[in-house]
This record gives sequence, structure tokens and C-alpha cells, in this order.
Amino acid sequence: MSYPDPAVYDTLPKLLRHNAQAHPGEVALRLKEFGIWHETTWGDYLAKVRRMSLGFRDLGIGAGDVVAMLGDNDIDWIACEVAAHAVGAMTLGIYRDALEEEVGYLVDYAGVKAVFAQNQEQVDKLVSLGDKAGTVQHIVYSETRGMGEQGDPRVLDLAVLEQRGEALHQADPAAFDAMVEATSGDAIAILCTTSGTTSNPKLAMLSSGRFVRHVITYLKADPKDHTDEYVSVLPMPWIMEQIYCLGFGMIARMTVNFPESEETMFADLREIGPTFLLLAPRLWEQIAADMRARIMDASAINQWIFDKGIKLGMKAIEEGRRSGVADVMLFSALRDRLGFSRVRSAATGGSAMGPETFKLFLAMGVPLKQLYGQTEMLGAYTLQVGNDLDVDTVGPAFEGCDVKILNPDVEGVGEIVTRHDNMFLGYFRNEEATKADLRDGWMHTGDAGYFDAKMRLIVIDRLKDIAETAGGVRFSPQYIENKLKFSPYVGEAVILGSGREYLTAIICVRFSIVAKWAEKNRIGFTSYTGLSAEPRVYDLIGKEVERVNASLPEKQRIRRFLLLYKELDADDGELTRTRKVRRGVVGERYGQLIDSLYADAESAHLDTEVTFEDGRKGRVQADMRIMEVGGAPAAELKKAG
Amino acid sequence: MAEAEILQTFEAGQPAERSFGEPVLALENIVLGFGGVKAIDDVSFEVRKGEILAIIGPNGAGKSSMLNCINGFYKPRSGSITFKGRRMPAMDPHFAASNGIARTFQNIALFRGMSTLDNLMTGRVLKMNRGFLWHAIYWGPAQREELENREFVERVIDFLEIQAIRRTPVGRLPYGLQKRVELGRALAMEPDILLLDEPMAGMNVEEKQDMSRFILEVNEEFGTTIVLIEHDMGVVMDISDRVVVLDYGRKIADGTPDEVRANQQVIDAYLGVAHD
Repeated sequence: MSYPDPAVYDTLPKLLRHNAQAHPGEVALRLKEFGIWHETTWGDYLAKVRRMSLGFRDLGIGAGDVVAMLGDNDIDWIACEVAAHAVGAMTLGIYRDALEEEVGYLVDYAGVKAVFAQNQEQVDKLVSLGDKAGTVQHIVYSETRGMGEQGDPRVLDLAVLEQRGEALHQADPAAFDAMVEATSGDAIAILCTTSGTTSNPKLAMLSSGRFVRHVITYLKADPKDHTDEYVSVLPMPWIMEQIYCLGFGMIARMTVNFPESEETMFADLREIGPTFLLLAPRLWEQIAADMRARIMDASAINQWIFDKGIKLGMKAIEEGRRSGVADVMLFSALRDRLGFSRVRSAATGGSAMGPETFKLFLAMGVPLKQLYGQTEMLGAYTLQVGNDLDVDTVGPAFEGCDVKILNPDVEGVGEIVTRHDNMFLGYFRNEEATKADLRDGWMHTGDAGYFDAKMRLIVIDRLKDIAETAGGVRFSPQYIENKLKFSPYVGEAVILGSGREYLTAIICVRFSIVAKWAEKNRIGFTSYTGLSAEPRVYDLIGKEVERVNASLPEKQRIRRFLLLYKELDADDGELTRTRKVRRGVVGERYGQLIDSLYADAESAHLDTEVTFEDGRKGRVQADMRIMEVGGAPAAELKKAG
Repeated sequence: MAEAEILQTFEAGQPAERSFGEPVLALENIVLGFGGVKAIDDVSFEVRKGEILAIIGPNGAGKSSMLNCINGFYKPRSGSITFKGRRMPAMDPHFAASNGIARTFQNIALFRGMSTLDNLMTGRVLKMNRGFLWHAIYWGPAQREELENREFVERVIDFLEIQAIRRTPVGRLPYGLQKRVELGRALAMEPDILLLDEPMAGMNVEEKQDMSRFILEVNEEFGTTIVLIEHDMGVVMDISDRVVVLDYGRKIADGTPDEVRANQQVIDAYLGVAHD
């Protein structure tokens, strides 16, 4: 596979122009709108970027300025990003479901000058921030619906901006080319937010030259070309989506497809039949869980085929092969149904994934591979290779990426530190954090891990999350949580036990499936809260916990748990936008519950503040029952611990 | 949480001053009876272009009968209806439908076994001119016509944010979504006047909030005149420009929400009167 020379094409605008010249009629992007897939060729793509960048320059945006994007994944977003790079500006992606104050923090911190805010909802966030978004001089929107008369003079229609750009291009056809020539691979192009499990996100500074070179390093480990189809479903600001939509798109000419809406994602995915796919572990888990839920509604014979097929397939995978029988009777149909028929390469990353889910997809014939990386390191720098069954490791490092274990203990476990030539240049306007994470050129990831005999990296958990009970037993909460989450009935779980005598859990039921289960068993309920409080649901989850306990060493078993009255939510700060649990927040907010879990109490009382979707706050009081696992009375367990 | 409080947030986005055009529909001295019962007794009012008019009143006040007179389903015993410059003793249903009056029903009237898309396409039937045979062979002009109408329907789907249920049979949809599909079918007719019979009955707060937003947006974006019947006073007071109050078939008030709220007769009708 040959890719454009990174020494010549070291910025996204240069790559785009190169593709548009070499393959003007080839489809670069597809967007589903009004029920139809609309194609954008490389020629159209370049023309759009040209109009936008000349428009930006006309607005006075240039080197050193920051342009932010806020909205759904679509062509306007990525064209805006490339156009901003063309005028020498830096870009900052903001998660589309970010609340006003989060948007305010980022915009203010980075001194954003112009924002592409897709629709009225996003524009409203900026307008109502008022002085808190004082640096913002231009707000560009693409969806006219509901925009009507805007009182704010900063608000501008993208179509108008593009018209202005087109007029400027007609007046001076050489202007855009000169701008593209002037872009430099050494300049900082992307400010990428870190996931911020602990605090406000930091902004990693990435230069476009490094971005391009790292993408080529990645492509060497997992080659792609113009026949590859990718469906963009990850949050656009996330580093991996940037790598795929912009990096793989520009360098390997992989076609990027944008679904119609968040809800139609799976239907659109099936229509495209992607050859390459990366989903967060949560999404893979959700697909597996939905599959199981749907089969609960199927006829007895279909259920039998499903169970038999899964059993055969899973057994075969454990023996390192695939079951042909299972493929014919079940998996080929499943792959087609899910839109995975053409998948040549699939990946999961961002956080750990339950081994059972992982095996299920391998059994299905989806060549799922785990990858590992950080925003600071431009995303992934390790990826599983070969066809061995490997549910534990994240594979070896890419060529040219150094990974080592700092201060390993007797078992070889220590902090993962890493470096490569194309890593980030530091955190934007945050020398202190840069110094803390980047020591002697090595990025300190804060993750605990070790290498196996084949030099494959195994990531255990966040270093600070590896906990120890009062009795000195070390355990990884995340590892146990993932085991729990493989149950279709468990949506989210938080394992507690650091500095305590034994382990307990706060569990959120997976509403869609437990609701269906309740319906089938004729259990009446009105809401998530009601369902979670239902004794039979407690019994159901209790059995799941026992099943997980059976696979754990005795000292790491869950003794008591409760079902939380609500789902953990990113808007409440309990999860990050990439849906990782924020343990600090959970520990603080549900301190009352945790104390009750470790007291003799049979129920726990909570009195807390919640944030509604529109940002307003309210108080909530709730009582939750605590369940002993295995039915042993609490007092006895306490003595045993 | 109070519904009214949520719905008030919509007000902030609306321009303070709204002006309306000439009357597009006038009802004069309408009397409607079933046997000895007078459902509507000498009611007159006008609907002005571009406004959102709410008809309210206690149960059995004659609200739905009023809508049925407007779209020609019922024939009034006496009185007249003026629409599109034509003054008639009763509306002709076909004239109403082909001249831009569309409605939704209190008890959803969709084809339950058909998909959302197909249900919306039925709203376009009046816009299609080719006959049955043309469509059976589906060629040339007939195909072109189908595609044009499909395109319009897709815009409605996009507007109401129902892309994900495009292919789902409506019988399988939750109630709130069925209501939205029904609104979609009415919109597919490109109406000048939209009659909504309890568009928010049986909905939860969130669904009401969505529906209010759609009603306001239809009015704002397409300039559609809207006549709606609704029991939720919070919704009525927040989204209507004008309110007509019926009680026992008679009109007892007609004015802005504030005027109606302060009207003693309305208060009596809703809260009852003390009998000496």
C-alpha cells in the first residue's frame, strides 16, 4: 500500500488538494439526508473547503486563531476543520451533547474566535453564554430551521459564508492555492480534548505533520485503501474519529459515511455495510445485549437455533477456530442483520471490554481487535495482530512507538509510559500539566499494565483505580465491572471496596432489557426507578452477581449490592462523554449509599441534586434496598471479612 | 415539575409582537343539532391568516363538532361558512381538503398496518394527478410524480425528526409518536389551515414539549394557520395567539389568552358557579 508522501503532503488541506487533483470524481464522503445517501466527490469536497476557507479569511480568521466545531458528525463539520487549517487556524472539537457550561469553559479557555455550531440548539448554547463566550466573534450555522430572526449580530448562515468565499475565489482564483501552500506541518492544527475522567478536559496540541505521520504509522499496522467504507458514529471530537474521518479519509482515501441521525445509526450502518468499524466497548456491549433482548421475543425454534449457534461458535473460538456449522445456522444471518457482512477489520478501544462480548463477536466472524492509546499520543499506538484468540491484550506497539513499564513490581505490573516521534506537543496553555504528564519525553499514561511473553501489552486499569481492601487484597474495579456488564441485565456497575473489608457494588439495570423481562414476567412498573426497586429484579441481578462471583477469587467477590434508582449519566458528571465512570463523582454523590452498603443497613437513603437535560437542577430523594449476595446475613459476612 | 414552567421557555424564543393577516375562514351563526340536542348554538368567529387559534371548553362543549363543521364532516343546521371567498351553508369535505384544510383526530386515525412513510404518502394523494392505471405500471410521469411527492414527504419526516421510524408499521409505535406521524400526514397535505383535535391528549410532559415545539415551528416556518382543541391549559395559554371558549355549545369568550384568563364567564364555566 502506498500513501502520499508525508514530507510533501504534511497538512490536511494539502492532502485534500492532492486527492481532488488525482481523483476528482471519486466518492470521498457520503451523507444520508431525506432518506437518500448523497455523495461528495474529492472535487466537491475541495470546492467546499475552498469556499469556507476563503470565507473564514474574509471574517479575519488566520494563524493563531482557534475555530471550534459543535454539532453532529457531518460533512460541514469536517470541511470546517480542514478549511480552518487552510487559513492557519487551530481547531477544537466540542462534544455535541456538551452542556452550556462545558461549552463555555472550553470556548473561554481556548479563546475561540469563531464557532461552527450546526443548528439552533448549538447556536443557542453560545448565544446564551453571553459574556462567558466573549472571545467568540462569529457563530456559523448550517441548519436554518428555527433560526428565523437572530438578534445576535455574530450569527451567520454557512451558505452565506460559502457564497462570500465563492465570490472571493472568482475574484482571485490563485488565493486559495497560495493559502494551502502556506500551511505548515509544524504548526499546531488540532486542539484535542482529553477525556478528563478526573476534571475539566485538557487540550492536547497536535501538529498536522505529526498527525499525518502517525496516521501512516497506524495504516502500516492496519492498511486501508479507497475501497474501504467507514461509518462515522463516534463522537467527532474524539481523537480516534479525527484519525479515521480526517486521517484515514485523506491519506488512505477511505470513504467516510455519515448516518442520518443518531437513532438511525444501526439501520444506516447496515445500508452501507462498512468494511472497517470502530465502536466503543459500550456500543459493542449494547449490540450484544440488544441481540439477546430481541431473541427473547423470537419463536421457540429460533431461540433454540440462537442458543445452539452461540454455544457452538463460542466453543470453537475458545479452541482457536471458527465453527462452520454455527456460521451457516446463525452467524451469517446475524452478520447481515447487523450490517457486518463486509467487515474486514473492526476495533474496540477507549476503555476495557468484557471478554465474553469480545468472544461473541469473534465467533460471529467479526475480526474484532483491541487497540489502546491516548489523545496525547494521537490515539491508538498498539493494536492486536494475527488471528490468535486474545481477549486480554491490546497487542504490540506500532512500529516506531516505544512503550515501557515504569517501576514494575514482581509481577511486572507498573505504569505504562510511552513515546513516539509524532506525539502531542504539550497541553494548550497548561505548562504545569504538560510537565506532570510529559517527563523526559515520555508520556505518563497513569494506566497500570504489563507485557506478556510475546511483548503484547496488557492494560489492567487506571493506576489510581487499582484498589486494595483493608485486608490487603488488590483488585481492579473495572475488571469486575466488565464481568458484570456482560450480563444483558446490567447496564452500568461501580465496584467499591478500596480500604474497606469487602467488595460491594452499585448497579444500574439495563432498562431496555430488564423492562422487557419484567413485561414477560408480568411485573408491573412505571419508571426506571420503580423497576430498580422491584424485589424480583433484585433477585434477577442477584443471580447475575453470583455468577460473576463464581469466576472471581474468593476475596474479590461482591458481598452486597444495591440497584441505583437512576442510570449513571454524563450530564450529571457521573460518566465522561466517552462514557467512562467518574469514580470520584460517584463516590462523592453517593457517599450515603456507600456508607449504608458497609453498615448493617438493609436499605440506603439518598438525598441529592440532579441536573436535567436542559441544565436546570432539582433535588431527589430515594430509598434503595441493599441485597446480600448468596443470602447470608450481613453480620456473618462482616465477621468473615 | 410544573408543565407550564417548561412550556414557558418557548415563549422566550418567540417574537413579542405578532401580527396577522385577513380572515381566511369565517363562521357565522353556526347552529348544529343532533335530534333535540343543540351541540353548537349560534357560534360565530373568524380565523385569521397565520395565527394559532385554540378552541377550549369543558367536555361536551362542542369543540370537536366545531372542527367537524369546519372540514365539512358535519352539516350545520343553519349559519354560513366563508372560505376562499366562497360563502356556503356547509363546508364540502372535498373542497376543504383540496383547498388546504388538513386535520388530525382525537383518537389517532392512521393506517396501523402501514409504515410511517406510507401513511405520510397517503397525505399526498390529493396532490397526485395520474390515475390508477398509470401508477400500476409506475412509469414515466407516474414515477416522476411519485418521486416528487416522496421528496416532499421526506422533508416532513426530517422536520418532525422521525427518520428512525420511517419503515416501522405505525401500529407498533408508542402513542406519542403515532400522534407525531398523524401530524406528519396532515403536514404532507401542505395545508394552509391545520386543524388539530387534542394533539397532546394522553402525552407525557416530554412528548407535550416536543409537540408544542413542532406546532410552533410549523406555524413559524410555513406560516400555516392552526386551529387546535386542547385541554391542557398550560399549553393553550402558552402557544395560542387567540382563544375561543365554548360552553354548552355557545361561545362565551374570544380573545387573547390573557383576556380569556380574566373573563368571569370562563372562570365560571371551568370552576362552576355558586348557586344561591
